[in-house]
Amino acid sequence: MTCAEFQYQLPDLLEEGGSPQLQAHLKDCAICSGLATNLQAIIGEARILQASHEPSPRVWNSIEIALRKEGLIRQPQPRNRHFLLPSLTRRWGVAAWLVPAAAALLIGVAFFLHPPSKTETLAKDSVPTPVLVSTGDQNDDQLLQEVASRSPMMRAAYESNLKDVNAYIRDAQDSVNADPNDEEARQALMDAYGQKSMIYEMALDRSLP
Amino acid sequence: MTDRREQQGDRLSEAQAIDKAKQGDAEAFEFLYNLHKRRVYSLCLRMTANTAEAEDLTQEAFLQLFRKIGTFRGESAFSTWLHRMAVNVVLMHLRKKGLPVVSLEETTEGDDETPKKDFGADDPVLSGSVDRLRLQNAVDRLPPGYRTIFVLHDVEGYEHNEIATMVGCSIGNSKSQLHKARMKLRDFLKTSRAEKAG
Repeated sequence: MTCAEFQYQLPDLLEEGGSPQLQAHLKDCAICSGLATNLQAIIGEARILQASHEPSPRVWNSIEIALRKEGLIRQPQPRNRHFLLPSLTRRWGVAAWLVPAAAALLIGVAFFLHPPSKTETLAKDSVPTPVLVSTGDQNDDQLLQEVASRSPMMRAAYESNLKDVNAYIRDAQDSVNADPNDEEARQALMDAYGQKSMIYEMALDRSLP
Repeated sequence: MTDRREQQGDRLSEAQAIDKAKQGDAEAFEFLYNLHKRRVYSLCLRMTANTAEAEDLTQEAFLQLFRKIGTFRGESAFSTWLHRMAVNVVLMHLRKKGLPVVSLEETTEGDDETPKKDFGADDPVLSGSVDRLRLQNAVDRLPPGYRTIFVLHDVEGYEHNEIATMVGCSIGNSKSQLHKARMKLRDFLKTSRAEKAG
């Protein structure tokens, strides 16, 4: 085998080991042997170039920005997502909003009932809107309609309860209006709304047949 | 055994990260990125010899991956899928720049048979080991076509039939280009060693 023939087949030697003739020429020819050795060293070291560098942080920053812009990153829902009354939406569907509405009334009243130091300012602002004390308000009617649709026998009981608690609210409101500084009156109004909120919750959360 | 367990753990974590990424989990995306960024970036860097381009191409490769991650079914390894994507991104970039992905030289098969005996004596330095930095510099100096084939085959481990498909050449051409790339590298390394000694 000549050197030219060997060098022509050298790639095969490097990749697959080569024929016996190639191996024999390697033993006999120092130049071709040196060449093969050099190339094998280069091949052996080439793999160290794999994964040898790290990109700058700006690469990930750019990727993340693009992903968010394209909507590919979606914010996870909180695991323990707390609804005001988790079972309500499951059982009552749309009507479940009535309970948070009642709670909102309670919170709204609490917001208006401030400490005595701000009494003068609050005396003007602390008067709740009439809708909060109306016994015939829309929320009550809708609650009763929901109760009636699910258990007509219970409607009367809830209507009676709502009538009583609305009267309680009315009386407490009158006391607050008469004396905004009266802490007991303010607390009584808070309690009244609390009771109404409980009635809503009971109506919507109890297991009806 | 420890390495194997760790590898298994990594595979399980990668699978979980892929599932979460499909649902749009930000941490999952970042996990997958950190797992594969070095390989992808190094590939881009070796093939372009330009850090800014390599970073842009790395970004593009991962974005393409993440956009399509919902279609990943696990028939092949995730890393293989990503790597192929990265190679395609780089090759498209080279074509857009007008750089030859593969040298236009014909294969040497059937060429003249003039004996070539002028390779010089065996270089003891090359016989033993090759300095990584010198090798990196030498690869960067290669013409783009040679560099592509060398990086894909000797650095990244692709077979000639795969390279031929990716770059659009024949298997014979791929082998020929690779051999020429290695010969060129040998020349560069000998030259740089001589310059260093001088």
